[in-house]
Amino acid sequence: MTPIAVSFTLNGRPAMAATKPLTSARTLLREQLSVTSVKAGCGQGGCGSCTILVNGEPTLSCLLPAALLDGCEVTTLEGIGTPANLHPLQEAFYDSFAAQCGYCTSGMILAAKALLDRRPHPSREEIVAALSGNLCRCTGYLPIMEAVEAAAEKMAQAGAGTGQ
Amino acid sequence: MPAEELLLPRSAQEAIGLLSRHGPELLVLAGGTIAMGLVNDGAIFPAQAMSLHRAGMDGMRLLDGRLEIGPTTTLDRVANDGLPLLAGAAREVGGWAVRNRATIGGNLFAAPPYGDVATALLALDATVVIGGPDGSRTVLLEHFYRGHLEYDLGEAELVTGLTVPLPAGETAFIKYGRRQAAAPSVVAVAVRVAWDAGGAVAEARIALGAAGPHPLRAHGAEAALAGGPLDAESIAAAARAAMEDCDPPGDALASAWYRRKMVGVFVRRALERLGGVA
Repeated sequence: MTPIAVSFTLNGRPAMAATKPLTSARTLLREQLSVTSVKAGCGQGGCGSCTILVNGEPTLSCLLPAALLDGCEVTTLEGIGTPANLHPLQEAFYDSFAAQCGYCTSGMILAAKALLDRRPHPSREEIVAALSGNLCRCTGYLPIMEAVEAAAEKMAQAGAGTGQ
Repeated sequence: MPAEELLLPRSAQEAIGLLSRHGPELLVLAGGTIAMGLVNDGAIFPAQAMSLHRAGMDGMRLLDGRLEIGPTTTLDRVANDGLPLLAGAAREVGGWAVRNRATIGGNLFAAPPYGDVATALLALDATVVIGGPDGSRTVLLEHFYRGHLEYDLGEAELVTGLTVPLPAGETAFIKYGRRQAAAPSVVAVAVRVAWDAGGAVAEARIALGAAGPHPLRAHGAEAALAGGPLDAESIAAAARAAMEDCDPPGDALASAWYRRKMVGVFVRRALERLGGVA
């Protein structure tokens, strides 16, 4: 078997790796590139914990052959904020107690980011629809939806403040 | 043993050539949302796989009163731009991230209790376009299904398109799952009814998902509606007939007995949604 070379943009920086034909993007990101915000959940597309953004689209990295990352722009939780400079969604999840065990949180925040990128002021219904593929067994979802709404508001205010 | 090779054809023609060369052992991934789950589970160990991701087989276009759909068109695209019945069914599949990868062609091969979009396609009289080394042929979706995971598809053939005549009449789709989203079906029901000038049912299509070895049409239920008004009485008769037409599987979600009951309930509810109900 010849290894497959993939090169892509990972959180704004060029990344290169050698992968195998049906190795998942999740395995490549976690085990080769140490991007551990990408969680290994069900491996079946049922839980959403491995969600990443590929060219801005929420994608389950467990169901994506890593070879198909070639040429793509990949965003993980590491790419949207840092401990010193959290993304408004991360801040809102913290403030709203929207994370308990935290296993679903990376996927939730990335799916929510993709939603807010498209719909800066989503309705509760739109939030539910956008996050319905991400399972949380701790929170009961209500704090998560409140966090997304709070982040949307915060981002709108920040946007207004900078004249954007 | 990990797979040896992942082939990435650049066209449908190239994909068919690779299929002829490698034979039926070649695992074909459209979106990969079914196949990769099996690989991750260790349920299958394909030596070779082919992804249609770059084969340019996606897209939808209206042509001469029909909708032509590329098999690798994502369910997210179908949910946003498809005919109402198809969009409604596509929206019920998985979560957003699944729909971004899952394809309408792949959904034909989703074993029950999956295959909601295929169920909607059946109610629309969809035709499957199949490409092979010797050219192209078409088959009605209803006849494409031969049994559980058995299809009218040769070893070197590939689904290269779907054709849906623009539907006459009204349509409705209801999926009943164990939770409100991202759930496999207890049952899925797609209905289409067209009326004649006198208000009688001229054409009825009732398709059932998770109610047999593959998505199927409930011919007895369709016959119960034909020629008369769509009213409480004929709807009740169609619902009873649908319970006879189906052959539901039993699994962790629902027993066969329960699914049959729910076929009756949801055929009735779907038909009651149509505006022409007397």
